[in-house]
Amino acid sequence: MENILFLAHSEADGTLSTAALEALGAAVELKQALNGTLAVALYGAQIQSAADSISACGAQRFLAVCGEEFATARHATDAAACEALVRASGATIIIAAASSRNSRVMGALAHRVRGCVDTHVTDVTASSGAPVVTRWFYRQRIEGSLTRTQRPWILLLDPGVCSAWQGTPGSITPELIDVPISDSLRRTSVRGTVTPPADQQTIRPDAKLLFVAGAGWTKKQKDGQTHVPEAEAIILDFLRNSKASLGGSKSLVDLSGENQSTLRFMSHLNQVGQTGATPRHPKGLSACCHGEEPHTVGWRFIGERRAINLDPNCGWARGKADVLYVADAFEVMSKVNALLAAM
Amino acid sequence: MSTVEQIAIERATIDVDIACVGFGPAMGGFLTTLSRELLNHDGSPAIESGTMPGMPLQVICYERADDIGFGVSGVVTRARGIRASFPGLDPAQIPMAAPVSSEKLVYLLDPIGASRRSRALRVGDRLFRAFRKFLRVRHDALELPFTPGFLHKKDGLVLSIGQFNQWVGAQLMSSGTVQIWPGMPVSEALIEDGKVRGVRLLDQGVDRGGSPDAGFTPGMDIHAALTVVGDGPAGAVSRDIDRRLGMPEGNEVREWAVGMKFVIELRPDVELQPGTVLHTFGFPEPEMFGFLYVHPGNVASVGIFVPSWFDCPIRTAYRYLQHYIQHPYLWRFLEGGKLRSWGAKSLQESGKRGEPFLAGDGYARIGESSSGTNVLTGSGVDEAWTTGALLGEGVIELLQAGKPFTRENLEQAYEQRRRNSWLEKEARIAEKSRDGFQRGVVTGLIGMALAAFSNGRFSLGSPPAKPGERLVSPADFYRGKLTPQEITAVQQECDVRGTSAHGPLMDRCGWPAIQHDGSLLVSHQDVLLMGGKVQAPAGYADHVVFRDIEVCRRCGNKLCVEMCSGQAITRSVAGVPNFDREKCIFCGACMWNCPETVQGQSNLQLRAGAGGLHSAEN
Amino acid sequence: MSNSFQVVVCASVVPDPLQTLEPVSGPNGPALKNEMMLPAILDPWAAHALYEGANLVKQVAGSSLWLVSMAPKAKLQQVMMTVAQKVPLQLVAVDGPSSGFADAHQTATTLAAAVRTIPGIDLSKLLLFGGWESASRSAGVTLQLVGEELGIVDQFQGVDAITPQTDGSFEVLERIEGARHQVSVCAGPPAVLGWATGSLGEPRNDPQVGMANMRTLMPALQRAMAGTVSSDGLHYANVTTPKQQRQTRIVKDMPTDEVARELVHWITQE
Repeated sequence: MENILFLAHSEADGTLSTAALEALGAAVELKQALNGTLAVALYGAQIQSAADSISACGAQRFLAVCGEEFATARHATDAAACEALVRASGATIIIAAASSRNSRVMGALAHRVRGCVDTHVTDVTASSGAPVVTRWFYRQRIEGSLTRTQRPWILLLDPGVCSAWQGTPGSITPELIDVPISDSLRRTSVRGTVTPPADQQTIRPDAKLLFVAGAGWTKKQKDGQTHVPEAEAIILDFLRNSKASLGGSKSLVDLSGENQSTLRFMSHLNQVGQTGATPRHPKGLSACCHGEEPHTVGWRFIGERRAINLDPNCGWARGKADVLYVADAFEVMSKVNALLAAM
Repeated sequence: MSTVEQIAIERATIDVDIACVGFGPAMGGFLTTLSRELLNHDGSPAIESGTMPGMPLQVICYERADDIGFGVSGVVTRARGIRASFPGLDPAQIPMAAPVSSEKLVYLLDPIGASRRSRALRVGDRLFRAFRKFLRVRHDALELPFTPGFLHKKDGLVLSIGQFNQWVGAQLMSSGTVQIWPGMPVSEALIEDGKVRGVRLLDQGVDRGGSPDAGFTPGMDIHAALTVVGDGPAGAVSRDIDRRLGMPEGNEVREWAVGMKFVIELRPDVELQPGTVLHTFGFPEPEMFGFLYVHPGNVASVGIFVPSWFDCPIRTAYRYLQHYIQHPYLWRFLEGGKLRSWGAKSLQESGKRGEPFLAGDGYARIGESSSGTNVLTGSGVDEAWTTGALLGEGVIELLQAGKPFTRENLEQAYEQRRRNSWLEKEARIAEKSRDGFQRGVVTGLIGMALAAFSNGRFSLGSPPAKPGERLVSPADFYRGKLTPQEITAVQQECDVRGTSAHGPLMDRCGWPAIQHDGSLLVSHQDVLLMGGKVQAPAGYADHVVFRDIEVCRRCGNKLCVEMCSGQAITRSVAGVPNFDREKCIFCGACMWNCPETVQGQSNLQLRAGAGGLHSAEN
Repeated sequence: MSNSFQVVVCASVVPDPLQTLEPVSGPNGPALKNEMMLPAILDPWAAHALYEGANLVKQVAGSSLWLVSMAPKAKLQQVMMTVAQKVPLQLVAVDGPSSGFADAHQTATTLAAAVRTIPGIDLSKLLLFGGWESASRSAGVTLQLVGEELGIVDQFQGVDAITPQTDGSFEVLERIEGARHQVSVCAGPPAVLGWATGSLGEPRNDPQVGMANMRTLMPALQRAMAGTVSSDGLHYANVTTPKQQRQTRIVKDMPTDEVARELVHWITQE
């Protein structure tokens, strides 16, 4: 029988993230499918409200490591906390969300509990009483289904692939596990976070629309000249007017690294695709993007997609976008800006 | 702003024994032959370095492309020279290689009616169709009952040059005796008093015009006792040497072609044996020869050659290649296939008449840059390999004898070897074999046969004119099909759109529009992405330069635009073509297609550059 | 120098990202079609780690840089000819699989063993660099596992910057959710840093660097140790490329104003 453990950290406000609830949803489903047991393990500065919020998930045990030592995402202490939780739970399958905090420690955790780990998991099902895991390989270009005999088996779920667990909050008293923290685990101190300056455009996951700019913005236009300042003005105008978030194709972002004439506000933080982000905005609009797979990997998960390109056969759009406008992006976007400004 | 030439630059230098330019089949032959003699059995140097006493001979090869496996050719070759270097060669060791299993020569009729056929050919086509049952004309094609001996690739190999280069390179580097540096373009030869002293690498950190910019790094000077030049048909170093040291009296490179091909994954139900070879002629235009070679794994290389004597002022390769693969004879195999790779290159087809000095003080020329290609047999790889191998033997002889690399010594050790080999004998037979094409396709074909069967004693036609000298104006070319006004209107529209004009002009002449399918029939821009990857590292100058823009403005044809394999050169309203380095695949077509000369030199200059098309399956 | 670093970069080779990848079943589990024929490059994120490592070594006197790379020897050799022109390095070559389907745990054990064999390696000065995730396995755990094998408890992932401080400590910026960076200060080595893109562009090919590297590179390749990676207990049920073809409506010849109106309507509707 599989002992399934849902492992999560609390957020700064003591709650669980949506991604964590999705992982819990997957854990609950797997428990039912495998007829196994379910335990919950939480770590962080404060875990009580997180535990209460999922008290009705059907877990037999609630374990927790908490305290100020675990307030920030520090590898040494997080790994120690997770190790203690997994050992105490006797879990054979551990399911967690692929947050940056979890992702940082899962390799170490697997090593310490002599287990194994799979990441970028998109599905966990049961077949013949055993879990079958589907995950990405080659940066989301190949999907593989696999089984392992080794236990414990840690699974990091990509966000957005499972339905979040929903239930009525209640009250629960978790078993607190004491994890002594020696000085050797305090060599790193987390000083906080920095957000890019307000004027620096990045991919904001909360935006409704992602605007993806391609290298075409910096290329010669009909008159044989480049119009980079105009391109910058049009794009920034559009972002202001539409509240869209900004992404860029790899070729455009690379240009900035090479000091070529490019959009000044574009950096690797904007890059979508294999070496960048794979955002999941409800809508995506690309302009002047050109490319075949794997360039297009970047916007595979965006809901509705439209593209503007002069080439009707543009590989970025054909078969990848819902609508392709064969048009001059400079002209169209200027007009779009005018219409949005007038609203 | 000052250019690099105008300011005094401190350049780093290194000394080596042998500096090599370009890594292709010729350099593969040279380095393979050389490397085998550089070490004793116990691993100690058999030949000591002259520049680093006590060390083994220092041999360095510089290649422009980012990897040594980026050749642009799927070939069938008799592989005589290759087999001589690798006795007992097992083709299965080389990816995509297969022994030739069958060979056919096929005449393709025009199923569309848009091909420009002479009266003689039209009569011939009508006869073929009338007697189709008797002649077994099927799928609009006539399979000739035999392949003439001179074309035959009996006992040969079908190869991917990309894979072959990679295989040879891996063998060489594992020997540890030679270094091959990819991603390192050579800009010019270092010449003093008529002697080649080495090479200069290309400047980095310059703007498009070549002026020092952020991170300027002057190209290093590589001093070498011997410089081996094997940089292909359009190599900058070869042309630099020809320009500065001259050509043998009466010799000139006048004949060229662009070869363009697809590597196609065939439908699973297509049962073509690996090693199947089809040579075709007659379609899409009578002047164009074509081929289909089958590699293992149900993959085929399919392509055409567009020669300099195809007098079309809007000649192009890509659009014609798309029509070629859709010929019913080929389409039955290729329909439903998937494009795996694409590429194009120029072929220097002048043979003996274009031969440069094969050696001089401090340097030797091999491969296509030494006019090694045999235009009668349509073979270049085997010849290139052999020129390199012969130089390798000669160099070993000189090194072992402690003789310096002077003109006399290299002529005796290398050139004489070449003159005494099958290369020279066959090149002499081929010398005038294609003169007939100056008068027309039928005369050309008869002339080839005549030269072949008379061992070069007889030929038809006249010595070739330069590509630019033969060109007719678009108005003359399209007389009877399009009016000058229609042509001008199309060209002006293309100026505004910044595209080439051959597409709309061909449309108007009856060539059907290409129905893109997203997997094999794709736009010219998509083929650049799907068929490989064009590298254009930052910090290098534009390598295509229009010297006198007024001359460009006056040029009516803009053949550089039409013939550009990557759509890197485009028309503009200003009348001066635009060049986009990020699309250039270094095919070299623009160089020989520019009909304008300024002060004795082509108005379009193709200089040394970095990057190019990278596809390992070519 | 007491504050010097020994930077070891773990980086494998991956198929050039622009190549079409097609999975096939081989005798040893899944593989890529024509895997050995696909042009290869240094794993992109790990390559950034290498450039950042070289930059760090240049800044902090007395520091040194190694590249530990496991891949089939022929591929490794090919890629190293280009990599060697970028930055001065010492190579530790391991002749083994570079497939994305090779198990991370076994790979990590082999890499950790290779790090330990580096002559003069001092784990107290070690900064273990690598890519945040590889472009092949894309698991993001191999480097962590190597770190654990070597007993390193300070680990950072998604790193975009390292700034050495005068007291031997260093500040690290890690990518976290919401396009933010987490700022940490680590007392000093040893530490594991899995790099994102960092801030340095790809260095140009430098023949002088190439020449210098060549003296050690070819011998390192020739004595590449064999690395075996088994897959005990791991079974692949199937491996496919996702099919996500959309029916694209292609709008041609629509006046600009109308395209703009349609787009604005689409953008603004809920």
